[in-house]
Amino acid sequence: MIEVIDTGPLNTIQDLGRTGFRDIGVTVSGAMDPLALKVANLLVGNEEGAAGIELQTFPFRVRFGKEVAVAVTGGGNATLDGVAMPPWWVQTAQAGQILEVTPVAGSARGYVAFGGGVDVEPVMGSRSTSLRGAFGGMEGRALRKGDLLPLGDAPVSELAMTGFGVVAPMLEMTSLFPVVEDGTVLIRALPAGEHDLFGADAERFWRQTWKISPQSDRTGYRLAGDPIRPVAPVEMRSHGIVAGVVQVPPAGEPIIQMSDANTAGGYPKIAGIVEADLWRLGQARAGIRVRFVRSSHAEARALDKAMTDYLEDIRATSQMVARALKTIAGH
Amino acid sequence: MNSALQSMTRSSLGSPLVRERVHISPIGSRAFLIEAPGGFDLATQRRIWALTQDVGHWDDVIETVPGMTNLLAIFRVVPEDPQAVVARLSNAWDLAQSVDLQGKTIEIAVTYGGEHAIDLGALCNLSGLRDREIIRIHHEGTYTVFALGSAPGFGYLHGLDPRIHMPRKTVPSLKMEKGCVTIGGMQTGVAVLTGPNGWNSIGFADLPMFDPTAATPAIMAPGDIVRFIPERIEL
Amino acid sequence: MTDLNLSDPAVIAAISGALTKAGVDGIEIEHERQKLRIVVEHNGVASVLAPAAGRAQTSLAKAPLAGIFQAVDGTLPRHVAAGENLGFVRVGPILLPVKAAKTGVLIRALAEHNALVGYGDPLFEIELNS
Repeated sequence: MIEVIDTGPLNTIQDLGRTGFRDIGVTVSGAMDPLALKVANLLVGNEEGAAGIELQTFPFRVRFGKEVAVAVTGGGNATLDGVAMPPWWVQTAQAGQILEVTPVAGSARGYVAFGGGVDVEPVMGSRSTSLRGAFGGMEGRALRKGDLLPLGDAPVSELAMTGFGVVAPMLEMTSLFPVVEDGTVLIRALPAGEHDLFGADAERFWRQTWKISPQSDRTGYRLAGDPIRPVAPVEMRSHGIVAGVVQVPPAGEPIIQMSDANTAGGYPKIAGIVEADLWRLGQARAGIRVRFVRSSHAEARALDKAMTDYLEDIRATSQMVARALKTIAGH
Repeated sequence: MNSALQSMTRSSLGSPLVRERVHISPIGSRAFLIEAPGGFDLATQRRIWALTQDVGHWDDVIETVPGMTNLLAIFRVVPEDPQAVVARLSNAWDLAQSVDLQGKTIEIAVTYGGEHAIDLGALCNLSGLRDREIIRIHHEGTYTVFALGSAPGFGYLHGLDPRIHMPRKTVPSLKMEKGCVTIGGMQTGVAVLTGPNGWNSIGFADLPMFDPTAATPAIMAPGDIVRFIPERIEL
Repeated sequence: MTDLNLSDPAVIAAISGALTKAGVDGIEIEHERQKLRIVVEHNGVASVLAPAAGRAQTSLAKAPLAGIFQAVDGTLPRHVAAGENLGFVRVGPILLPVKAAKTGVLIRALAEHNALVGYGDPLFEIELNS
């Protein structure tokens, strides 16, 4: 059990989402930076998809009710009883200790995972909070002061006792996730169904740099820039969508649908972001500039593989390191 | 069709996109949207239901999301050969026979008019019909659940009489109550969440449409028949 | 070997010369209750840190495993607390902490950033408060 002793608004329990129910209108939800949540889970010895806490507002403080491994990844700086934890790190907290997480410049969301995972009752196969549907996570709402979160049972590993971390994905995979010198994030995407109906404006979509507007949240990101419009206005029939679809409402400034998006949409869509780049948007704050880069299924596969390899490398190496340390300790 | 409606539709939402051939396009790296050619009708939707059943059995497909005369197929992993996927989906569409889903009949008690019917007046102006006439046309209809989507348990209902079609609002109502009986273009439905909503409200139904803890969370399913029973009329 | 005197300047000079030649960063020798620690500076000059009794006691933070040493920013000398992370040893994507065993003043890093280090290699030296 852990107790939330301080939190800003909109911090929620998330896992990798409630997939498989779009056909009854249920939003997927799930971590906006699934890569950071997966790493946090691997660090504490959980399955990649265990539920953790997604932090969007700070500071956040919890008090531990028992000894447990705790990892903080993504955009979160942590201290345990006032002692700084390095970034992307797991440590073992003792009963009564307090974890504090503060924001990291240049990132939008921090992730906290606990050994055994946050063990709220799964709803429709997931512990993710659906704020819009008001179910899942902690009573379907954001966390608040005084919440007591149940944790699953899990032994604390020797390695987590020592404390260890990982090289952050942006450092480990620098060449795969390019950023332009002025800080513009390059996001890879494929042209979507109505791309060609935008005529010359389609090229302007790819060429220009868009700014993430302040009216952006887990539901979707609004982009500010030179409006783009189809050659003739079009009305679509409602259809299923996935996170990362880039729609263009009549006003001409695109919207990227994110984790809490509706399951259906009807605005003309100009592009769809490759899934491997979504976590970078999940870490992009309002005001950040993005440019879309035309990608391919082949490139998307290569990126997926690189991310799978990174996670597998963490899993395998941490086990190997744990064995080596055990051998040494035995001498 | 009413000329006022047509001009309003054009100015606000543009002309409906009608595909001449089946249209298959990617949304991101592992989802593909299959849009049926032709009209917005039950015959086309029955083929979409058949396609959904077929594609839903493919080993490499993790999720199928039927929409309005379209289907979104989400694959487990990014396909190695996207063109082959498009060809397979196209072939599946060609082979899709009409399916007549044996749905249940759902009767929904409605309070027509009253405080929640915030757009009934505008619909009178648009259609040139009196409010009682609109209500009669609405509750005499027999509707088919084409698909669920947008919000948990929300059913898109087909079968709305063209005389009371009304385009979606360009500026949505910011806080429409859950339970509002609404018209969006040529569809009708019952709002399942309180919040921003671009459809036009003409009444209210106090029937929970979704329970996340139930074995079958959504009351409606594609193929179900829906009838609206006027419980009260407040004009 | 019983006549080896670790406080003999000639002995120290001989060991320092051998370390510098071999490219070794430092050495700690304990012999017959005598203790000698020599650290080779980057310019090749060896300094003797704790050759005799009566001087400040020091503690070494050592590599927990073989890997790549990762330094962290921080000025030297500075006060550090027991258990504090001083740097990391990187094994693939995994970072292991190099912790201060005792509270004291961190006076020296004994390995360069990104240097390959072996298990037990001394990485930091802390002068203990008396």
